[in-house]
Amino acid sequence: MFQSIAGNNVLEKSDLQPALKALKDRLMTKNVAEEIAEKLCESVAASLEGKKLGSFTRISSTVQTAMEEALLRILTPRRSIDILRDVHAAKERGTPYVIVFVGVNGVGKSTNLAKVAYWLLQHNLSVTLAACDTFRSGAVEQLRTHARRLQIPIFEKGYEKDPAVVAREAIQEASRNKSDVVLVDTAGRMQDNEPLMRALSKLINLNSPDLVLFVGEALVGNDAVDQLTKFNQKLADLSAVPSARLIDGILLTKFDTIDDKVGAALSMVYISGAPVMFVGCGQSYTDLKKLNVKSIVKTLLK
Amino acid sequence: MVLAQLGGSISRALAQMSNATVIDEKVLNDCLNEISRALLQADVQFKMVRDMQTNIKRIVNLEALAAGTNKRRIMQQAVFTELCNMLDPGKPNFTPKKGKPSVVMFVGLQGSGKTTTCTKYAYYHQRKGFKPALVCADTFRAGAFDQLKQNATKAKIPFYGSYMESDPVKIAVEGVERFRQENCDLIIVDTSGRHKQEAALFEEMRQVSEATKPDLVIFVMDSSIGQAAFDQAQAFKQSVSVGAVIITKMDGHAKGGGALSAINAVEPGVTVFRTISFVVPLVCVCVTSVAATKSPVIFIGTGEHIDEFEVFDVKPFVSRLLGMGDWSGFMDK
Ligand SMILES: Nc1nc2c(ncn2[C@@H]2O[C@H](COP(=O)(O)OP(=O)(O)OP(=O)(O)O)[C@@H](O)[C@H]2O)c(=O)[nH]1
Ligand SMILES: Nc1nc2c(ncn2[C@@H]2O[C@H](COP(=O)(O)OP(=O)(O)OP(=O)(O)O)[C@@H](O)[C@H]2O)c(=O)[nH]1
Ligand SMILES: [Mg+2]
Ligand SMILES: [Mg+2]
Repeated sequence: MFQSIAGNNVLEKSDLQPALKALKDRLMTKNVAEEIAEKLCESVAASLEGKKLGSFTRISSTVQTAMEEALLRILTPRRSIDILRDVHAAKERGTPYVIVFVGVNGVGKSTNLAKVAYWLLQHNLSVTLAACDTFRSGAVEQLRTHARRLQIPIFEKGYEKDPAVVAREAIQEASRNKSDVVLVDTAGRMQDNEPLMRALSKLINLNSPDLVLFVGEALVGNDAVDQLTKFNQKLADLSAVPSARLIDGILLTKFDTIDDKVGAALSMVYISGAPVMFVGCGQSYTDLKKLNVKSIVKTLLK
Repeated sequence: MVLAQLGGSISRALAQMSNATVIDEKVLNDCLNEISRALLQADVQFKMVRDMQTNIKRIVNLEALAAGTNKRRIMQQAVFTELCNMLDPGKPNFTPKKGKPSVVMFVGLQGSGKTTTCTKYAYYHQRKGFKPALVCADTFRAGAFDQLKQNATKAKIPFYGSYMESDPVKIAVEGVERFRQENCDLIIVDTSGRHKQEAALFEEMRQVSEATKPDLVIFVMDSSIGQAAFDQAQAFKQSVSVGAVIITKMDGHAKGGGALSAINAVEPGVTVFRTISFVVPLVCVCVTSVAATKSPVIFIGTGEHIDEFEVFDVKPFVSRLLGMGDWSGFMDK
């Protein structure tokens, strides 16, 4: 694309600009948020400026290599969480391991909660579902259907109850029944909705779950940045306790609907620093995978 | 955050152009680049933004313009017209009429808001004197029938569905038949979420459509969707005859509660900036869905409650987006 072959020249910003612009555009067509694509290009530029370019090396391929390294670094989790190990640790302590599923409306929280239940069952763990979406029509019946199909217990108190309290009672009941894991379903909410974010903060504070999983859909565009920033910010600001719990990990859904437009994965991880712990790639129980970082990077740069 | 800056960038780009003493190729390019950036930040498809740039440049052929013509105005008008065109494919091909039975089918991606919007649409028409009814042809999603049933019951709208039957075509046909006999004039069919990558799901949608012969197919799209929007929307259009679009979850982009009501504010100017931060993402999603389906946006969803639903009109939205009082002048000249 860019023919300039610079032998032994020191790279200047202006040399890099065309290649970076092309790369930024490519990232954006792959559904990386504009802000993130921009920041990435800036940091790649900063890392290359002043460096010497080897003879017969194209600027475009130097930029591409630097970007590939940056992407790998961002997507490779700094904090690694091993759910199964942590569940067993909790089991030793005699308490159930609690996961709360949070996110905006319709992204796939409840469905993927059921997939995670199925995955845990396959590892011979016992699971209780907590129906803490006490708002949306049909939410309780939806979870009940999954509990019946998976033949696992569900704790529910119908609609219009305080979800924080329902969660607490569910955890108590799961403790009594020696359930290994409690999966807490919550209502979808927009990141700007103050009252609903406050209610979520209360649920998390009251129950100190082991894992707060943010569920986000791979379809989302630039809003991904806003969603994660605001969820974290609101959980921090609205918390009644000094050390607020934030998002621990990400569950990326609807990966089967986006072809090669895999950029949301990058936006979400970049902005939150949280790892993608699961990828939802379909509507049945077995459609849950681990993120393949290498293949994401490859697709982004293709 | 990002979105709040958007309206700002478009109007800033235009303002900068207004301030320039000489309008030349560079001023035009700077302005177009700034606008393009704003549109991309709001997830408008990459190719469309590029096409828009090309179109505007063609209209504003600087060299061809005679000396003495107001280049600035011509340029501003080109931007305005192009944005309007991107948004306005003309009237919907069908609007329900009271007393005349019609069938409206809702389709869209998983979780986009179909079921919720079906009830809003029914409720909106009920208050206008229609006799609506809801048919749940989603036999796939867990709890789908309960959801529709609870929504319909709250709104006192008759509904039809089944816990046992697994064939959506059969339910759709039975439901439509039942409500025709009961003289309902607006029979609304809710369907499962689906995506273009699963051919069997699209085939099912085609069959429901063929069996119920809807007068209008409405494509429901989530306003937070990114670059996949165009391909998905287009695939729906190619499978069933989508005639209108509804954009949901616009409340997710409201910066502060005031922005929503600002939409309805009569005086522009006072709330222009807050309005803009709300309208820009909306316009951008609309642009994409309109381009993909060649159908107009008829409503937007602004919350989870049944009355959080607004009629969508292109002209006032676009003129408010761009500006502002001085812009409305361009439309008539
Ligand atoms: N194609 C596809 N669809 C999915 C995936 N995960 C969930 N869905 C579908 O997305 C739709 C919404 O899923 P839910 O689990 O109800 O979403 P939610 O986040 O719980 O929704 P609310 O509770 O209403 O906020 C359903 O039709 C699911 O079948 C996925 O990985 N791929
Ligand atoms: N905040 C907000 N939420 C909305 C809006 N429209 C729908 N929702 C929510 O989005 C989620 C999904 O809505 P549904 O109506 O179940 O979506 P659907 O398209 O029928 O989903 P499937 O049938 O699973 O494909 C629910 O939590 C709704 O309450 C809206 O305009 N604003
Ligand atoms: Mg749910
Ligand atoms: Mg539905």
